[in-house]
Amino acid sequence: MTGTDDAARLLAEIHAARGLLRASVPAGGPTHAALWTHATREPGRVVDLAVERAIRHDPAIARRYRSMLAAQALAHAPLAVAASDGPLSSRRVGPFALDILPAEADAPPLLILRGEGRMPRVIEAMRGEEAVRLDLGEPVDGSIVLALDPAVPEAERLGRLLGDPASAVFLL
Amino acid sequence: MSGGYDERCAADLANVGEGRELSRADRAWLARVVTGAVRPNRDKPLWDLAHALAGLARLTGAGAGRDLVTLALDPRLATPEALAARFAGASAGAAAADARGLTLAAPRPWRTTWAGLARLLALAEFVLTAEDLAQFPLVTGWFDDLAKEPDEAERLAKRLARHLAAYRSDHLPLLASERRFRGILGFLRGRSAFTDDDILAFWRAEMAAGERPGFRTVAEHFVTFEAAAAVREGLDGLSAAASLDAMEGWEERLTASLSDLAQGEPAASLADLLADLPDGPKVLTGSERNDLADLLRLEPFHRTRPLTALRAASFGRVQSGLANRLRRGGGGADLAARASCAEAEEYRALAARAADLAHHLGRMLRIAAALRLAATGLADDLDAEAQAALREAEADLRRIRRAGFDDRARVASGFAAMDAALVRLAEETGRFVRAAEALDRRQGLDAAFAADRAVFAQAFAAAYAGEAA
Repeated sequence: MTGTDDAARLLAEIHAARGLLRASVPAGGPTHAALWTHATREPGRVVDLAVERAIRHDPAIARRYRSMLAAQALAHAPLAVAASDGPLSSRRVGPFALDILPAEADAPPLLILRGEGRMPRVIEAMRGEEAVRLDLGEPVDGSIVLALDPAVPEAERLGRLLGDPASAVFLL
Repeated sequence: MSGGYDERCAADLANVGEGRELSRADRAWLARVVTGAVRPNRDKPLWDLAHALAGLARLTGAGAGRDLVTLALDPRLATPEALAARFAGASAGAAAADARGLTLAAPRPWRTTWAGLARLLALAEFVLTAEDLAQFPLVTGWFDDLAKEPDEAERLAKRLARHLAAYRSDHLPLLASERRFRGILGFLRGRSAFTDDDILAFWRAEMAAGERPGFRTVAEHFVTFEAAAAVREGLDGLSAAASLDAMEGWEERLTASLSDLAQGEPAASLADLLADLPDGPKVLTGSERNDLADLLRLEPFHRTRPLTALRAASFGRVQSGLANRLRRGGGGADLAARASCAEAEEYRALAARAADLAHHLGRMLRIAAALRLAATGLADDLDAEAQAALREAEADLRRIRRAGFDDRARVASGFAAMDAALVRLAEETGRFVRAAEALDRRQGLDAAFAADRAVFAQAFAAAYAGEAA
């Protein structure tokens, strides 16, 4: 590269940097730090309501948030593309199998999660404006069993979202 | 400023800058790293970032990429002081932190200051969140690999360099502006100094060659060319440096002059100040703001090269009219009529409007000062002259018939929010007015306008003749 070419290149880079410094773009929505804090929170802890609201109502912020979940997930199933017939009773998320056993007379529906290797600690499912995050508890003999008690709103919501093929599921 | 980056890139940088509340100098550094304006090796900051993260991984015992992401995004670690407070005195394996900064002993000696580390973490946030976080999981995965093997900083550095190179090719279309700078360098044949007429002659040559760049766009390139003169001299030295030692000296000097460049940037551009003026009370109307923006946009040329500022305001407007009409395929005066510059605004009229605005802004400032004094209750202690000025400002305030000026409390709070911006705008407008007056004494504004009108009309007619026919 000749001296003139490199000088021209450097000047163009400086010109763009100066332009960027002058470009006034209002930053939108919660900061990356606030979103990351939300994406790494323990289930059930106090959440930043403004962040939660922004994720629920702004598709661009929801997309950022899902990127952050995907980055730390052991496995995730993004928003499904194909519609399927009726609710699912089982689905795969990466190397993990999720099955929902229907309720019986005296027992709520159960979520059974099986897989090899390191097991997830937290599950988050979302679709549109609805989302839920729950602690999965300790695995026993390579499986995690979670009761989807219809009397507990969050558990009920998780069951419904998992049964919906259009929901995204993150195992963290 | 025209060109060289897209909106995505501007938004990615703004999100990091605002989230971390970066200083102007740090924002400038980050913008330079992103556009690649770092020499002799534009990947050096990524090399440093990879080693910084390797050091932090050791010091914090980070076992996973997400721990490093948490460090990079944590706003409580965004300043050198906070980093020193958290890490100074710590050591683990090859990494150690002392009062000055972070050091690595292996696999090769490396160090940075706390201020350097704070910048590198801002760069980490940028590479993680660029493209609106589309690559966040990918980059987190790379951080994960590093957390597991902190000796592999070089691998991360290479990955990040490729990542940023791909980002540049997608979001920083530099070719057009690079070609223009090559043209300017060739045109000036090694000279650093240039005149208003050099800018005009270069623009005419580009027009004649069929490029049809906006006059204002060309002038903006000359603004950068002038600001970067010291940098270019450093670069010449760099290619001429005979030994590695000399090279290192140049690297430092080049880095210093590139930083100066950022420091030399006004704290906020005048265009930003104008755009950000609050709406109540209406200190400037929309068309007053546009007039000022047109004249001040080529900062600092409005005070150093008023003729170029006038040319851009008068004939630049004609040219954007031509370009808009071509884009729309019709509307308003036809091409030939526009190209004749019959509608171009005379320099004397532009200068007179600027003088009116300078006067108006001065009045607004006196009102702002009066309101502030009245609020402090110190007005009674002033001498007679100041008392008279104060009374005049009060009378002015009552005379003004603009939206928002009838409510004294609102005027006071509005002015309080904008008086620093007002001071600068008034000052810079005044400087333009004085520069234009000096030009008038030297050259005569009317004669300059008449000569320029013939030149621009000829260039427009030739360049847009095809479409006009």
